[in-house]
Amino acid sequence: MSSATRFGSLLLTILSPRKLGYTLLVLVGVIVITFFIRPPGDPARVLLGQRADSASVEALREQLGLNQPLPVQIGVYMKNLVKGDLGRSIATNRPVAETILERLPATAILAGSSIAIATILGILLGVLASWKANSWIDTLTMGTSLLGISLPAFVVGLLFVLVFGVVLEWFPNSGYLDRGAEYLVLPMITLAIRPLSIIARITRSSMLDVLGQDYVRTARAKGLSYTKVFLKHALRNALNPVVTTVSAWFAGLLAGTYFIEFIFNWPGIGLAAFNAIEKLDYPMIQGTVLLTAVVFVLTNIVADALYSILDPKVRVK
Amino acid sequence: MQQRVDTPSSLAWRRLRKNPGAMIGLFTLVIMIVMAVAAPLITPFEPETQILEYSVKPAGFRGKILYKANPADPSTPTIVAVRSFEVRGDSVHYIDPAGEPYRVAVDRLQGAGPEEWSAEPMFLLGTDRFGRDMFTRLVYGMRVSLTVGLISQSIALVIGIFLGSLAGFFRGWVDDVVMWLVNVVWSFPTLLLVVAFSVILGKGYWQTFVAIGISSWVDIARIVRGQFFSIREQEYIEATRAMGYGSWRIMFRHMLPNAAGPIVVLATAGFATAIIAESSLSFIGLGVQPPTPSWGQMIKDGYGYIALGTNWGMTLFPSLAMAIGVIALNLFGDGLRDALDPKTSQR
Repeated sequence: MSSATRFGSLLLTILSPRKLGYTLLVLVGVIVITFFIRPPGDPARVLLGQRADSASVEALREQLGLNQPLPVQIGVYMKNLVKGDLGRSIATNRPVAETILERLPATAILAGSSIAIATILGILLGVLASWKANSWIDTLTMGTSLLGISLPAFVVGLLFVLVFGVVLEWFPNSGYLDRGAEYLVLPMITLAIRPLSIIARITRSSMLDVLGQDYVRTARAKGLSYTKVFLKHALRNALNPVVTTVSAWFAGLLAGTYFIEFIFNWPGIGLAAFNAIEKLDYPMIQGTVLLTAVVFVLTNIVADALYSILDPKVRVK
Repeated sequence: MQQRVDTPSSLAWRRLRKNPGAMIGLFTLVIMIVMAVAAPLITPFEPETQILEYSVKPAGFRGKILYKANPADPSTPTIVAVRSFEVRGDSVHYIDPAGEPYRVAVDRLQGAGPEEWSAEPMFLLGTDRFGRDMFTRLVYGMRVSLTVGLISQSIALVIGIFLGSLAGFFRGWVDDVVMWLVNVVWSFPTLLLVVAFSVILGKGYWQTFVAIGISSWVDIARIVRGQFFSIREQEYIEATRAMGYGSWRIMFRHMLPNAAGPIVVLATAGFATAIIAESSLSFIGLGVQPPTPSWGQMIKDGYGYIALGTNWGMTLFPSLAMAIGVIALNLFGDGLRDALDPKTSQR
């Protein structure tokens, strides 16, 4: 298949009406859940504090539209979303959408570079481990990756700050790119550790799975060298599950940025969300959560389509 | 004597026993559970006990203390940090850590003799900024982590098994509705969903269980549904139908036990995720609230000192504890998966 037809069928898979309709239905559910992200009790009371007089609480309730029945509130919320209006932050009184757009590049740079590193290194390490299965390289790689999936991102981040920032003083441990490219290093690596470990493990098990298949044995039997079979027959087929993993991890990565951006003081969406959680600034929390979920849904569609192109077996169904 | 029969679970157990990683994991978990259960017996203090004079001390620190009687609550004596003390007549003269001399009547102390009212305990892992013993808090934090894992996974299992069975058994519109819900929840990264539910439910102990539980049933529902799809076609299920059994009886008595393997594996992995989720929540100030000790909180408390380059232990020890727990669970889970996988059993 030429790359043009490939792209065409990718578009077709994404744009099939059935799929689009279902995606919209899922998004409606996502929006309803997001709508309910607000502190327990009367949000107006929570925001103004226990000592506020009931007149100002009532005024705020009116202003936030809390006096209308729930379905109406949800309807209004959806209508505003379609217009690109995510509400106003309670802490700063700025439109949430404005803050998110302003902060998006920082998060995109961080998440993009992390997933790139995680994918390249993860596949490399996974292939290496399966190439020398059960050797010390394999054991070391799998052992380290077990550590990588066992530690939450914020712990890895703190340990990196400690080792590379404070003790060795190799990289700065707090700040943004405007002060130099070296500020990206620690947050990027920290964020990459978990997806890297998972990609390495999946690549390895997928490779071993493929290497045990009959067609690999056939290829070997007809006299092809191990290297050639490994690279041409096995690797290509083994990468399919990796594609789904990488895309599934992209949104998970966005959730990880909440913690990483806080630890490294990286001025992205995650840091904004973190601050919003501390102040119970729920429109801001809603906006960031919704953004993450939408990105997740979209990457999943692309991943599904990619998967069906890479693996004809899926398409037949 | 009963004849020995190879049930699937005994076969799996034998395979599991041969897997060193899984056994190390299991052993570690058992130790952690015993420590958590026996916490009051193995820790020198209460988790909330503060000795402000001994705040932010390094691991292995030893400090002299006196136990003063506490009329309000005789079971918890007041702890006084001292540099040195001597008995003169019916009173004890002591120098406090700041170098100030003080005097206290012997009968105001808790106990009969110096060996009862004075001690020089070692703070194995040092103290935090309120002078609380890190080791004590670590062990009690383990209690919290394991409880959160256990309860939230139980919640997740109940929801996941129920919805997954419904979808896999009845199919049709039931399946459509369940899968829609699964896909909606699936659209949020787990950690983010846990944070969102914590905002909705508020901070606290049970809120944390529920928030994690209702965020982590999706994988279980999917696996149960998939298993039911294939089990439903088996002949023994057809036989139960021919015998006129009701749907619920077939689902939960005959199909569910046959789907148990993958569910157990997922629950083990979910347990690890729950521990991570709990500490992540308390790290950002949601979740279990002070003074209840929690690993995430301890890590956050220590975070401020890391930037200063001092007292790394305050971050390092709870991080290590969590890493050990989660690695043990993952090792055990991996071993369990290999032991229960029918593909490996044919070899």
